[in-house]
Amino acid sequence: MHQTYARAPSLARANGQPILAALSKAGQRRYVLFLLLIAPAFLLRITTAAYPILQTIYLSFTNLNLIKNTNEFIGLQNYVAVFHDYGVREALSFTIMLVVSATILELGIGMLVALLLNAAFVGRGFARTINLIPWAIPTIVAGYTFRWLLDDQFGLIPYWLNLLSGARMVAFIDPVSARIAVILVHVWKDAPFMAIIFLAGLQGVPQDLYEAARVDGANVWHRFWHITLPLVMPLTITMGLFRVVWSLGSFDLVYGLTQGGPGVATSVLALQVFREGIMFFKFGFASTISVVLLVVVAIVGAIGLWLFRRSEVSY
Amino acid sequence: MVNRARISRPWSRRWSSSAVYVSFLFFTFIVLLPVYWMVRSSLAPAADLIKIPLVYFPTPTLRNFITLVEQVPFLDYVRNSLVFALATTLVTLVVSFLAAYAFARIRFPGSSIIMWTLVLSMALPDVGTIVPLYRILSSLRLLDTIAGITLVLSSALAPFTVWVLVSFIKQVPYEIEEAAIIDGASLWQIFGRILVPVTKPALVTMGLINFINAWNNLLYPLSFTTSPSSKTLSVSITEVFAGYSPWGKPWELIMAVGVTMTVPMVILVLFSQRAIVRGLTGGAIK
Repeated sequence: MHQTYARAPSLARANGQPILAALSKAGQRRYVLFLLLIAPAFLLRITTAAYPILQTIYLSFTNLNLIKNTNEFIGLQNYVAVFHDYGVREALSFTIMLVVSATILELGIGMLVALLLNAAFVGRGFARTINLIPWAIPTIVAGYTFRWLLDDQFGLIPYWLNLLSGARMVAFIDPVSARIAVILVHVWKDAPFMAIIFLAGLQGVPQDLYEAARVDGANVWHRFWHITLPLVMPLTITMGLFRVVWSLGSFDLVYGLTQGGPGVATSVLALQVFREGIMFFKFGFASTISVVLLVVVAIVGAIGLWLFRRSEVSY
Repeated sequence: MVNRARISRPWSRRWSSSAVYVSFLFFTFIVLLPVYWMVRSSLAPAADLIKIPLVYFPTPTLRNFITLVEQVPFLDYVRNSLVFALATTLVTLVVSFLAAYAFARIRFPGSSIIMWTLVLSMALPDVGTIVPLYRILSSLRLLDTIAGITLVLSSALAPFTVWVLVSFIKQVPYEIEEAAIIDGASLWQIFGRILVPVTKPALVTMGLINFINAWNNLLYPLSFTTSPSSKTLSVSITEVFAGYSPWGKPWELIMAVGVTMTVPMVILVLFSQRAIVRGLTGGAIK
């Protein structure tokens, strides 16, 4: 062990960082150490992520069903069925609709909130603290709370709307208003997270860039567009992408807010996987929906990476 | 501090201060309205929730919480949620810290590819693996156990945790370890006496974030637990919602579970705002 380490410092000094010659004996022992250290994490990921994903792909070609007790290889039949399944088609289109509209709104509103949280005013500390509350509230709880807040009989928002305009608001009976409700609650829950990311970016923008731009006669809007935005973009895209991908794979919000209803108007792919797989034990069919979801995630991820590469700037 | 004040000046100068305060009030209203509604409904007698005009400030009572304790194994659920969240936090931190150290300190051609394979695996949607996981947990006899959902969620949280910890460990000057190595310290001494104390802020940050994620997690407990000995609060709220009272949904009880789940999270946020923000931005703010 000592020998292993004794080699490291001299090389570290030579290179300015701890890189070892690959073929030295000490180097080999470092490889062993490396493998031992990453082993627990990789063991977990292989057993609960890599292997299951491969199994999901395999199962998507079978009719494994715990209720009907079938388990045969049926080729592409599930894929044909998935695209004829009304629930899955609606869920696919709403998943895309939700991701696109919620992300755009969250970026816009998140930026406005970040500008507010970055302004100097009495109460800024309070504002920064409560900004974290929507993020910290369990999504399922947020879903139920908004469902009750929007309740057509005793909910606060329909009640106020009725007092103000006399209109009767029925949020969850009509597919369009139910979808709008899901999108807006999603924005309430996630825009503060985006604001935190933007705020971090705003605080990292070197002040002299603004000074220089001001000297050159750039107005507020120009400074925002040409300095602030390009500099906060890489961080936003990275963290925003994690967040978007994470939310593609979860159904907590719709599970609490609408349970996918009315009908399947607000169902998302993740909810369909859960229903078909865990509630109805149609393992094969559920796996096929999972593969569709994987493809959506891959497309979103690819777009994100492309944006990230375009947005990298240095200063 | 000085620096931040200077950065905010160009914006604050343009915004008239009244506009700032109006947006501050609007922001506070939007953020806190659901919180008010939840707390108000959880503390109200059931009959007060179905009155028009609405009762904005009902006489507070803990009746709904007592009902929960009497009618569902509520305290078991609280305990399960705590055990699940703490165990997940611990497992995730230990596993991630070891891997992060390897990635930050032992570099060779290809080591970063191994790291990115691990980190990018967080893009795999959790729900996409529940069917195989159900079968794996079943064959390991871990279905319907807290240990089972702990392992599965720790694995899901590890990639992000590793990613953040790597960037923190890289900021620790290597010279400290170098000196320890020359003095003949073992790997565990380096971990215990140098790296853990030095990266403590990062560990606290990721501990908090993982605790919150685990406490809030619905997917795995809902999919893999069925008995009161392992079900969590997040599952119990869906079950209370599925129940009916003569007036419709028992909103006073649903909101009481909601408050029970939310209060610990809000307390954590109030006391550790900075630490959490540091982690959420991947270590971008120091």
